[in-house]
Amino acid sequence: MSAIVCTDLCKFYQQGDAVIKGLDHVSLEIEEGSFICISGPSGSGKTTLLNAIGGLDSLDSGQIAINGERVDLLGKAELADLRLHSIGFVFQAYNLIPVLSARENVEFVMQVQGVRAAERKLQSMKILQEVGLEGMEDRRPAQLSGGQQQRVAVARAIVSQPKLVLADEPTANLDSQSMEKLMAHFRELNEAHKVTFLIATHDQRVMAWADRRIYMEDGRVTRDELQ
Amino acid sequence: MAMPVAAMSRLAWRNLWRNYRRTVIMLLAIALGVWAMIFMTALMRGMVDDMVQQGIVALPGHVQVHAEAYRDDPSITHSLPAPGKAMLEVLESRQVIAWSSRIKVPAMISSEYENRGISLLGIDPEGELALGFDPDDIVAGQFLTDAGDGGVVIGRKLAERLETRLGKRVVVMSQDPGNTIADRGFRIVGIFKAELENREETIVYAGRDVVQAMLRVGNDVSEIAVLGHDYRTPEKLAADLGDAAAGFEVLSWLELDPYLSTMMKVMDGFVLVWMVVIFLALSFGLVNTLMMAIFERVREIGLMRALGMRPSAIVYEILVESLMLLALGLLLGNVLAVSTIIPLKSGIDVSVVAEGMEMMGASSMLYPVLQWPDVLLANAVVIVLGILTSLLPAWRASQYRPVEALARN
Amino acid sequence: MTTKRQRDSAFGLSLRLAWRNIWRQKRRTWLTALAMVFSNVLLVFMISLQLGSYDMMINTTLRMFSGQVQVQRVGYQDEQKMRQDIAGVGELASTIRSRFPAASVAARANAFVLLSSEDRSFGTQVVGVEPDFEAGVSTIPGLVADGRFLQDPGAAEIVIGGVMARNLKVAVGDELTFLGSGKDGSFAAGVLTVVGIFNSGSSDLDRSLAEVPLGYFQDAFAMGGSGHIIAISTAELGGIADLMESLRAIIAGGDELVALDWEALTPGLKQAIQADFTSAWFMYAVLIILVAFSVLNTQLMSVLERTREFGVIMALGIKPRRLALLVLLETFLMALIGLVIGVLLGAVVAGYFGFAGFAYPGMDELAAKFNMPSVIYPSVGPVSLMLGPTVVFIFCLFAAIYPAVKLYGLKPVEAMRAV
Repeated sequence: MSAIVCTDLCKFYQQGDAVIKGLDHVSLEIEEGSFICISGPSGSGKTTLLNAIGGLDSLDSGQIAINGERVDLLGKAELADLRLHSIGFVFQAYNLIPVLSARENVEFVMQVQGVRAAERKLQSMKILQEVGLEGMEDRRPAQLSGGQQQRVAVARAIVSQPKLVLADEPTANLDSQSMEKLMAHFRELNEAHKVTFLIATHDQRVMAWADRRIYMEDGRVTRDELQ
Repeated sequence: MAMPVAAMSRLAWRNLWRNYRRTVIMLLAIALGVWAMIFMTALMRGMVDDMVQQGIVALPGHVQVHAEAYRDDPSITHSLPAPGKAMLEVLESRQVIAWSSRIKVPAMISSEYENRGISLLGIDPEGELALGFDPDDIVAGQFLTDAGDGGVVIGRKLAERLETRLGKRVVVMSQDPGNTIADRGFRIVGIFKAELENREETIVYAGRDVVQAMLRVGNDVSEIAVLGHDYRTPEKLAADLGDAAAGFEVLSWLELDPYLSTMMKVMDGFVLVWMVVIFLALSFGLVNTLMMAIFERVREIGLMRALGMRPSAIVYEILVESLMLLALGLLLGNVLAVSTIIPLKSGIDVSVVAEGMEMMGASSMLYPVLQWPDVLLANAVVIVLGILTSLLPAWRASQYRPVEALARN
Repeated sequence: MTTKRQRDSAFGLSLRLAWRNIWRQKRRTWLTALAMVFSNVLLVFMISLQLGSYDMMINTTLRMFSGQVQVQRVGYQDEQKMRQDIAGVGELASTIRSRFPAASVAARANAFVLLSSEDRSFGTQVVGVEPDFEAGVSTIPGLVADGRFLQDPGAAEIVIGGVMARNLKVAVGDELTFLGSGKDGSFAAGVLTVVGIFNSGSSDLDRSLAEVPLGYFQDAFAMGGSGHIIAISTAELGGIADLMESLRAIIAGGDELVALDWEALTPGLKQAIQADFTSAWFMYAVLIILVAFSVLNTQLMSVLERTREFGVIMALGIKPRRLALLVLLETFLMALIGLVIGVLLGAVVAGYFGFAGFAYPGMDELAAKFNMPSVIYPSVGPVSLMLGPTVVFIFCLFAAIYPAVKLYGLKPVEAMRAV
């Protein structure tokens, strides 16, 4: 059974006189528990695809179903709940909430979910340790380096063990050792809990971890290969 | 799924202080506004209270009983007999603090040099004191000793006008029920002062028994003045007396002095208008501050939406932030108001415009009166209208599309 | 050296720059300007309303009875004793009348008497008036609703207020007797025929004013040719100062006479107006300061968010003074928008009520206390339109000083690094 089914997705942007094709009739099926990397030059539609699947962006046409549920038909509040409980996001820019410390940023989603404080602390401390930020839990984003902020964002995305992780360039700003560690962690989550990963990346070393690689250009899928 | 209040509050609190200058300026503005709401209201209440209390002392009493036609034509022919059994029952009940029956008729007073038209009051000194006549107002001589006292007590200004003084004799002329001129010589035994000059000029006190004999009316009187416990609620007392005094006109001061009772009502309306006006002046700044705060964080708001916060939770967060700002401002404003009103409890001297205040029926000392319902009203106006005003910016913030918000720089 | 033309064009540039800058944040600028508009409209309306009601208070009080100026014996205003009189009051009034053809002049005399009808007696004031001239200084003769006003200067006639007539239970044609004492302390008494009853709407006057012819009064109270008051009114309001000046010259030779204007005649009224105006300004001040806070906040934010931009400009060699002036100029323009819209809108609102009249619930009872009609017509004029908004304008400029001064501490390199 396919976890995510995208059918004929279209999304065009007007930029000045030109029309940018964000998604140009993209159809895609993603199995539950797959570990997929999407690659392509900037502006090829990777981010647009991730946003569309996460319900962050509306489509011009096409359908998206997650576990049989039509994401494109959901209202704002339902989409919010879907993201809250089933999807973890890692954004291109680190996007941390500046007034919250590293640990509070990680706990944010759990807090919205209503997880109890003791449980939150346990989970967040553990995950921060795993991404190598032990001892920096109480720093605000402004006091962390770019790589550290990125790791906080990753920790936030996976801490509540979502069924689907949408990661947009999660390894930008990471050195190769940190990158390998992060990918290993992703893979482990994927294998142990059948978490589906959809990772947009430029990085060939990241691509190497995937079991399916999708290449995009000008809003179209140009290649789709299984490992 | 709503975020726990504690977490939401922490987020809102930290957001509030991100731009501390802006927050401090807005706080000061709110505090000033709240201070003005409470302080000015206390002053206005003080003025009206003072007017009402003086009015009640002058009237006197909270409720008065007259013959039906007396108020239109305050002649001795429209008098009433001494209270009967039914009335005494009410007058001696627990809801009455004091009562006194008095004669009050127009008369003329003459010294050897001058004449003046006056109101001649035939009173029982004991009852008059109980109704609120302040013995400290006697500036020379003494007040009447009893209802049979053969002297008169006149106002300071009237003594000047008549070119007379303590111990001198004056002649008082009025009419008896048969319209025969009734006159009698009195010795001035006391001179009183009053806040309102008009009283000093027109009120003359004499013993009730003496006036009754002079006017040949037996035990009849013009009015019975009754003092209850709370001047704000004279209605029950008036109703009870009305039942007991069938055939006579029983009115509370609210009806006897429509100027004062209207003043009190108008003041209630004015207080609310004043508070709302101040709030409106504040509201532009409040909306501006919130709008700026939201514009600066469009990205963050998009992020929170992307992480699964519902639009309603965004509204909630902004409202909590606004509520904190309002609450802090209120706290500051309330403290400021109370701490400026309390030292002024002993009065603000406005005697520069004493005669003007007298025209309005007020005295030349202004006593701010802090009424808790007013403070509550000020706080309620700020909180309720404040939240309503914040709804627009908060709603706008919740409507950003996450992707666009995230793309914003 | 910069030439005048260079300075002009530099100013033009600053002006254009300032204008564009304030529209970079449209919503913020409008909200700030709206705060000014709100308080300006309110101030224009309230001040017009106040000035309108003062005019009415003064006019009704003065026109009804007292007149705009009175000549009296020194001390009479305070003590009102019968022997503080003006000898030859009729002649003096004639002299004044001939000197000021535009003014109305009437002599009066006052006494307190016991006035009795068949059924009732009241102590009251009786005023001796000149029947031919009284109508020029008082509206009472025109308000006689029943019967007629006095005509013959020597007739034993009396005109009384409606309430007094009811209390005395008399109608036109009935007789009243009075009892009092003359100027010399002698017994004064007589019988008068009620020829007219007036209804002024002022309960005080309707209850307590009685007028008899001055000639009769002088005989009855042994006044000879004297009286107590010469009341003077003129249609030209601006002429009062000149009138007072000349009056002082005329009466300078007389026995201790003074000319009193309305402020001296009705000190209560003047102080009531002062008290009202002062307390109202206390309230307006709060409003104005709140608006100034709004401006302060907006301009401070606008300076802070442009720190980087200002840094770049300063790096180009522009002095902080120029930037501070720019900020002040921006505030000036914003305040100008608030002023213009506020005054226009305020004029419309005040103008509408000036035409339609303004009343609020409960005003009937309150206005009656001051003998005023229960509808106020706001007076719209340059003062009522500009006074409030000008003060708001000035305070808004003051509020921009702190943000402008902050620019002086700016260091270009640090500023450019700021977010």
